[in-house]
Amino acid sequence: MSELTKQEWWSPGESALIECYEDLRSVLEERGADLPPFARRNAIKALAALWQVANGLDAEPGPIDDVGA
Amino acid sequence: MAPRTDSPYWNPRHETLPRPELEALQVSKLRRLVAFAKERSPFHRRRLAAIEPDSIRGLADLARIPFTTRDEWMDAQLAAPPYGEMLAAPEEVAVRYHMTSGTTGRTPIRVLDSTKDWEWIAEMWCYGFWGFGVRPRDRVFIAFGYATFIGFWGAHYACEKLGCLVLPGGAMTTEQRVRTIVDMGATVVCSTPTYALRMAQEARKLGLDLAAGPVERLILSGEPAGSIPATKGLIEEQWGAKAADTAGMTELGTIMIFECSEQPGGTHVIEDHYIEEVIDPESGEPVGYGELGERVVTSFGRGMIPVLRYRTRDLVVRVPGDRCPCGRTWDLYEGGIRGRVDDMKLVRGTNVYPRAVEAIVREYPEIDEFQIRLWTADGIRDEIEVLVELPGLDEEDGQAPRLLARLQGDLADGHEGLRFGVRRVEGGTLPRFELKAKRVLDERTVIGGAGERRAT
Repeated sequence: MSELTKQEWWSPGESALIECYEDLRSVLEERGADLPPFARRNAIKALAALWQVANGLDAEPGPIDDVGA
Repeated sequence: MAPRTDSPYWNPRHETLPRPELEALQVSKLRRLVAFAKERSPFHRRRLAAIEPDSIRGLADLARIPFTTRDEWMDAQLAAPPYGEMLAAPEEVAVRYHMTSGTTGRTPIRVLDSTKDWEWIAEMWCYGFWGFGVRPRDRVFIAFGYATFIGFWGAHYACEKLGCLVLPGGAMTTEQRVRTIVDMGATVVCSTPTYALRMAQEARKLGLDLAAGPVERLILSGEPAGSIPATKGLIEEQWGAKAADTAGMTELGTIMIFECSEQPGGTHVIEDHYIEEVIDPESGEPVGYGELGERVVTSFGRGMIPVLRYRTRDLVVRVPGDRCPCGRTWDLYEGGIRGRVDDMKLVRGTNVYPRAVEAIVREYPEIDEFQIRLWTADGIRDEIEVLVELPGLDEEDGQAPRLLARLQGDLADGHEGLRFGVRRVEGGTLPRFELKAKRVLDERTVIGGAGERRAT
């Protein structure tokens, strides 16, 4: 996973969402194959939405097709 | 805590970034896009072979990247169907297929998008909806066919993302759509400009007063008429609502420009997700603010199909963002999309290239000569028909009617289901050409006052 670019201007709420994105991405990368279909596909959908947050906050989230999104 | 809906901006920071910071963001994204496209897409790897991503230091470096044309895209698809070597992610990641009419006959431009891409497609529409004042409390009717044409699909998902109540208007007659808008108390309506007028006409026929109803805003797309003042004025008058222009492309999957609630007479470019250049279509050199030129787009959003310096053939006039009092730093296209460099015609939201029509017509050796005729029906609706000469066929034995029906079906299949009229005319009545043929007769009239540009 590529390192996200941290921005000093993020609010606490924005920083928390970036952490959610990183955590969710890690789950899908490391344990995605073990998840039941409902959990994996919903997590992918959630990651695709959180990617927009990371991108809109200039975190440079990079591609996520490797985890199915 | 109540959710914040008071911001006029969808992404307040990006929409008000000072120009130097905005350009730095674009350069950083461009560098990553070039690296990604080179690594993932064989089509782009060849084209970008001489460019090292780290050598991109400023927007001036854009000029080192070759233009991409629609014909090159088509050729790539024809060489390696169905998608060419455009894809930058495995096909199995895609969750949706769409297409747009091609330039060379039956083969369309085919696109795929992933789950992440679709969230991004909706995100772009969110800039437009939010910027025009649409909020979670709104009930949005989408007058759209929901088929392979990408059209308002992204608008639908954007409204869901915003938290609006979406009223999908697919597979309905115009009467059903108008009645649903009224019965369900829609506050926002999405349609093409032409269809907005068509619905208003239907409402009058039904004795329904739209102007007295709850619709407050119309989001227009699919035709340049959304930025023609007289047309927009007519729509606003008939609906008793404010209308905003947007424009997008299947090649991008979504919109790239939108009109904000200040209605400055132009559309803001979504500059944190695109680099838009305006060039002289002949020389390829950039033109300045206030000059008419062709827009060239580079998109940072679509993961499955990178788009770099795509020649859109759309004509625009770019002006600084501070012409609009909304506070956005994003530049504007004054008057939206002003026309086309090429001969493409836009008919009820569908792209029609005369050369693609010709390629289909020429599959019928019985046709001696043909002409493509466009006109305005009922004062508001674009119609297209193909006139053909069939010198060797008798009407009585049914051969000619069968051929006309087949041709009509083939033309629709090649144009996202667009309804073409097909009519036989007497032999020798259509013009013949010795040099450059002019087989398109565009008799459409613009809705509105004299001096307005044509609606193509």
